[in-house]
Amino acid sequence: MVNDDGQLYTIEGFAAGMIMLFTAYLVLGATSVYTPGDTHISDMQLEQLGTDALRMMNTPVNSTTDSPLQNITETSVNNPADAKKTFNMTFLNYVNNKTGSETDNLHYSAIVSYRNITDGNTTWSYPLASNRNLTGGEHPVRVTEWVIVDNKIGSNVKQNRSVLVEVLLWRD
Amino acid sequence: MAGLNDDAQWIVLMGFVVSFSLFFLAMILNQSTVVGQTTAESVLDFPKNDIRDVRSVIIHSSSLSDSAVVQDDIKAIALSRKGAVIQITPLIPPSGHYTSLYIHYNNGVTAYNEIWTSS
Repeated sequence: MVNDDGQLYTIEGFAAGMIMLFTAYLVLGATSVYTPGDTHISDMQLEQLGTDALRMMNTPVNSTTDSPLQNITETSVNNPADAKKTFNMTFLNYVNNKTGSETDNLHYSAIVSYRNITDGNTTWSYPLASNRNLTGGEHPVRVTEWVIVDNKIGSNVKQNRSVLVEVLLWRD
Repeated sequence: MAGLNDDAQWIVLMGFVVSFSLFFLAMILNQSTVVGQTTAESVLDFPKNDIRDVRSVIIHSSSLSDSAVVQDDIKAIALSRKGAVIQITPLIPPSGHYTSLYIHYNNGVTAYNEIWTSS
């Protein structure tokens, strides 16, 4: 009952079936084509990188000193140019350094948001620093860091305040 | 091809087996971008860093003399800039502890509640 005849017919039929299945798979799959850029994988990595950089900047070297980011934010109230220079240097150093001599090509635009007590507790923002203007063609991610500062921000009294440093980060 | 010659059938069969296994490996590889998208989107949607950051700043604020102002700042800025509702309720600390706080975070998708007690 079982013999060797017709093996090539079986193989040929099997091959034809597989080719039809594969064609159907390709045709149905062609309606949604994902490229790596659509998948937000690079956004996720960029967001993690920016968050880590801001957290490093907001970590004091010991318990008696203020963190670099707190110093920068406090300086930005009275001396914006100085704050911008320090933030620019530190932040770009953290995000753009790579193993080897080549540096990465990340750009950013940072603002500080605070609660304005003298203006009915509304939230205001002012620019902190940026190394490139946003033109609208970029695809930035937003990373934020809470900073506790001790300065006159949005009120006439020098006291502890909490502000949000927001950074738009993109690669080009 | 069938009927011409009966020789080398095993070679042809093995050729098919190898080429179809290559097809299937290519299909599996093709899934990797979709899998990466699902993973990346769930990582981006979950506000892990937001919660950690706001939690640590609330705990820091509880030891400051201006803690009421700082906590009002946190609530107002979180609502207007991050779309998250924050509630901070001081609780009566258990004996032997200084401070106890109820921290609530909700950005409409993810909610986080914690009763934090200082050591």
